[in-house]
Amino acid sequence: MSSEEKNPHASGVKDVVALPASTIWPLVLAFGATLCFGSLVMNPGVGIAGAVMVLCALVGWVREIFPHERHEEVPVVAHATIATTVRTEVRRIELSEIQRAYLPVESYPITSGIKGGIAGGIAMIVPALIYGLIAQHSIWYAVNLLGGAGAAYWTNPTTEYIAAFHWSGLLVAAVIHTVVCLLVGLLYGAILPMWPRHPILLGGILAPVLWTGMLHSVLWFINPAFADRIAWGWFAASQLFFGIVAGMVVARTGRIQTRQPLPFALRLGIEASELMSSKKEDKN
Amino acid sequence: MSDLPMPSSQTLEPEPAQHGSTALLEWLQGWLVTVDHKRLGILYILYSIFFLLVAGAEAMLIRIQLAVPNNHFLTAQVYNRYFTMHGTTMVFLVGMPILFGFGNYIVPLQIGARDMAFPRLNALSFWLTAFGGLLLYYSFLGGSGLYGVGNAPDVGWFAYAPLTARTFSPGNATDYWALALIVSGFGTLGAAVNIIATTFSMRCRGMTLMRMPLFTWLYLVVSGLTLVTITPLTAAQFMLLIDRYLGGHFFDTQAGGSALVWVHFFWIFGHPEVYVLVLPAFAIANEIIPVFSRKAIFGYPAMVAASVGIMFVSLGVWAHHMFTVGMTSVTNAFFVLSTMLVGIPTGIKIFNWIATIWGGRVRFQVPMLFCLAFLYQFLIAGLTGIMLSVAPLDWQLHNSYFVIAHFHYVLVGAIVFCIFAGLYYWYPKATGRMMSERLGKWHFWLFVIGFHITFDTMHFLGILGMPRSIYTYQPDRGWNTLNMVISLGGFIQAIAVLIFAYNFIVSYFRGDEAGDDPWDAWTLEWTTSSPPPVYNFAEEPEVRSRRPLWDLKHPHDTDWEYEG
Repeated sequence: MSSEEKNPHASGVKDVVALPASTIWPLVLAFGATLCFGSLVMNPGVGIAGAVMVLCALVGWVREIFPHERHEEVPVVAHATIATTVRTEVRRIELSEIQRAYLPVESYPITSGIKGGIAGGIAMIVPALIYGLIAQHSIWYAVNLLGGAGAAYWTNPTTEYIAAFHWSGLLVAAVIHTVVCLLVGLLYGAILPMWPRHPILLGGILAPVLWTGMLHSVLWFINPAFADRIAWGWFAASQLFFGIVAGMVVARTGRIQTRQPLPFALRLGIEASELMSSKKEDKN
Repeated sequence: MSDLPMPSSQTLEPEPAQHGSTALLEWLQGWLVTVDHKRLGILYILYSIFFLLVAGAEAMLIRIQLAVPNNHFLTAQVYNRYFTMHGTTMVFLVGMPILFGFGNYIVPLQIGARDMAFPRLNALSFWLTAFGGLLLYYSFLGGSGLYGVGNAPDVGWFAYAPLTARTFSPGNATDYWALALIVSGFGTLGAAVNIIATTFSMRCRGMTLMRMPLFTWLYLVVSGLTLVTITPLTAAQFMLLIDRYLGGHFFDTQAGGSALVWVHFFWIFGHPEVYVLVLPAFAIANEIIPVFSRKAIFGYPAMVAASVGIMFVSLGVWAHHMFTVGMTSVTNAFFVLSTMLVGIPTGIKIFNWIATIWGGRVRFQVPMLFCLAFLYQFLIAGLTGIMLSVAPLDWQLHNSYFVIAHFHYVLVGAIVFCIFAGLYYWYPKATGRMMSERLGKWHFWLFVIGFHITFDTMHFLGILGMPRSIYTYQPDRGWNTLNMVISLGGFIQAIAVLIFAYNFIVSYFRGDEAGDDPWDAWTLEWTTSSPPPVYNFAEEPEVRSRRPLWDLKHPHDTDWEYEG
């Protein structure tokens, strides 16, 4: 570590700075250690040479720091530096006295994403159940398709088996459906501020179409039997239901200021009057 | 344009001219004995760039071999050596040293310190890293003794057991691999200890942890992660040597050991290692994106929290590299979910970077171009990572070129792009010269085109079933055209890197004068001269916000009035 000393005698020199002195011993120690390791597959002579270097380096190193660490004094010559900026004017958006505007100024609250996920999750059940009724005359078919994908012991189930009611299928499907809907809802809450003009079109339609397309292309690798049982038209319809409903819920939620420049304590809702008053004093 | 007086910054007086050869020797000696963090940082970076060219040349040889079916440009044995050395070099001799080089150079400057906390340890760390790399490459000569020329390690960069047993890997090549990584690993540990100590103990007045630049924050996180991850690798290397020479049976399945123990040890290191490499890349993006968007980083506390979150989550995901070894379904499910969890903090970062750019007055200069490409490519890399985290999909694609494409999307598309961004960004600070913007753009566009030709195509090759590590293939597999395209893309990248190397060297002599603050940036390193004097700052700086130079440039609109 370094320290500073005044040097009033040097002409034009304000002070000198004491910095750790240059030394060869780290290099010698590293080379010696490498030779020691290398000697395990080279020959003992290399190891002996390495050990000698390590010893010398350790002695030299210790002598450099005991009893006092060796320093070099470096003279300092002052020259004035000018700070310049290419930024000419800053366009200001007034928010409040204590908050500076950072773009994006407004965003949707995270809770709106969760609400959207819940609403979309409920909405997408409708086309899924209709599909089950029309195609297999059972509302449990779609439920068990999802639940069966998560229940490892369902090996090669028949169509009749999938169309029947199973507690395990219902529970697993409920867990998967709830978790995924909440996560996707959160994702919508985060994405939609980035697409502020057409949130439902982009977040509610484009994203589900992309998601369906991606699943369609990869599910044949992940689980071909599962992919074979999916009616992709109905699947896409349920995804669109989810996207549009979730997007509408999120978009209808009032936007809030991002508030990121505010102190963390304030954003947590903690009363922090002392903090704010001391900042005011600093400003003055 | 505002002209504001800055606190005085001082430089050394020029030394009197000396005789040519004496001056050269003194100059050389100055670099060999230096303990200055800036010089050591430059040494790390130059060392890494050298090995980048070496490992890049190895990659080109690999791509020539694979360009056409039934090729015998390389023998199978030589091919194995090249892909082993390519992977090992890129991870251990390029990725880690160059990122610790950036840390060495930038961290003390950003926190207003004169040097690292332990300057001599810093020098030792560099030289251990350097000699470790040289020991690895010495294996080309000494792998089977000097008479067995050309026997570099050929066990892959992950060196799975039992291939590394003496029965299957006779000679010394594998030993050189293990010993070199042990030696350079000690260097890495030293560098990590130093950055942690420096960050905690040498910050200037006013620089609280929550006022530290994000670059420094991420290096603190990375250094902590490094301490945790390098140690199991080093332990495993010692166990391997004990197996090979002292009759140990750690990885010898026939004698009661387990080859899987190696796999666990390696990936307990290996997966967090990806984050050891990518977090510094994030650190570079954290500096460049705000400066070139003309906006403060969006969500600073969230970025810090996400970085720390990534560190912890990354320690619990290693077995997603091992889905095919036959773990229980519960274990598979745990590692599927823990891997997907990484997507949350990473997603926070991506959204915050986008939010930083959004509404900003973006300057599309070379550092920013590389960062923009990084954003897109890292997103794709993350998505294919999520795909591979799904165990059934991983069973299909494991050890295929899809995996190679995924991790090159991370290592090249994210890390190498950010490294280039960082080199263009801080080169003026380190040398006092600007790199050519025109050549930089040639470099960027050729590299980005070559990258996508190579690695986008590689995903399809993996889906079509081409396994990794095969040295040639039959012409009837349907892989011919794709392999040729990938190789052509590789050569386009190579041309781009050569343009960069030319720019890097020529700009040092002929580049425009940079001045102290060529990018109109905000952190402390830009308040001192370019290149900085050996003592960095004549007086210890004092900061009141995360952007001290912004405060100096805009005294009527200072950050400290608003920051929490």
